[in-house]
Amino acid sequence: MAEFSWVSRSPLEHALAPGAHGARGVEAGVSLTEIRNFDLIQVMARRGKAAELARVANGRFGVATPNAPTVVQAQDATLIWSGPDQFFVLSKGGKHTMDTLAPALSGPASLSDQSHARALVRISGARARTMLAKLSSIDLHPSAFPIGAAAATSIDHTSVTLWRGGDRPDGQAVFNLLVFSTFAGSLWHTMLDAAAEYGVTIAHSEELA
Amino acid sequence: MRIVCPFCGERELGEFTYLGDAKPVRPAAGASEDEVFDYVYLRDNVAGETSEYWYHGGGCRTWLKIARNTLTHEISSVEPAAGAGAAKVGA
Repeated sequence: MAEFSWVSRSPLEHALAPGAHGARGVEAGVSLTEIRNFDLIQVMARRGKAAELARVANGRFGVATPNAPTVVQAQDATLIWSGPDQFFVLSKGGKHTMDTLAPALSGPASLSDQSHARALVRISGARARTMLAKLSSIDLHPSAFPIGAAAATSIDHTSVTLWRGGDRPDGQAVFNLLVFSTFAGSLWHTMLDAAAEYGVTIAHSEELA
Repeated sequence: MRIVCPFCGERELGEFTYLGDAKPVRPAAGASEDEVFDYVYLRDNVAGETSEYWYHGGGCRTWLKIARNTLTHEISSVEPAAGAGAAKVGA
């Protein structure tokens, strides 16, 4: 049998060029940062087991799981609503993987490892909301989309999970976007085009916000 | 046209796809050929209130049952289709 050496790489490895993009001579209005090497597990309640899942997951994470389009911050994980009776567990450093979550949650829920199936992009900056407004039909005004709000929606005909994280130290809003790996490059270029007129700072990071 | 998803809130039409008439009910196993033919092929072309299945594939991936007026596009009710959002419809 042939031997393979599998190395996980970012789906944006080729598209992402760190540095400045778009308008020059202005302070960049949009900051796009890809977050790499995260653990992402989709948890979906089995039929009729939603209440049991909520109870077990609450014991596991120490917080109530999201039952509306919101994110819930646990001590070492972010729980992101992804549909009725289902959520993502986003974490770093192998704290919440299939190996650790399945024994606890696989009774009331189906689990699926999405760590390498999604790209995660953090969008912030003074013009971040303006840029996203070109692409999304979601109302991102602070009164309609406050910190902790989440949405399963489509951008550029691509399904995404969008949520608002904690503000940056300078008070700017932070939007997080999970997109299918194979669509990440396409959506990345779309966002670059939308943001170019405001000036973009491009980076990648290993740190979850 | 916008649809108020019971799980996601108001969303644009582009996030949804139309399946079809929600009225036909699959006949019993021993049903006559006419009944099966009716179920598979025959549809009413209603000018007014209809009951339809829509899929929120661009959002929470839930099937919805929607009452829509074909003359005005007014949507009078949106509810999860049976089996969607397991806990919420008690399927």
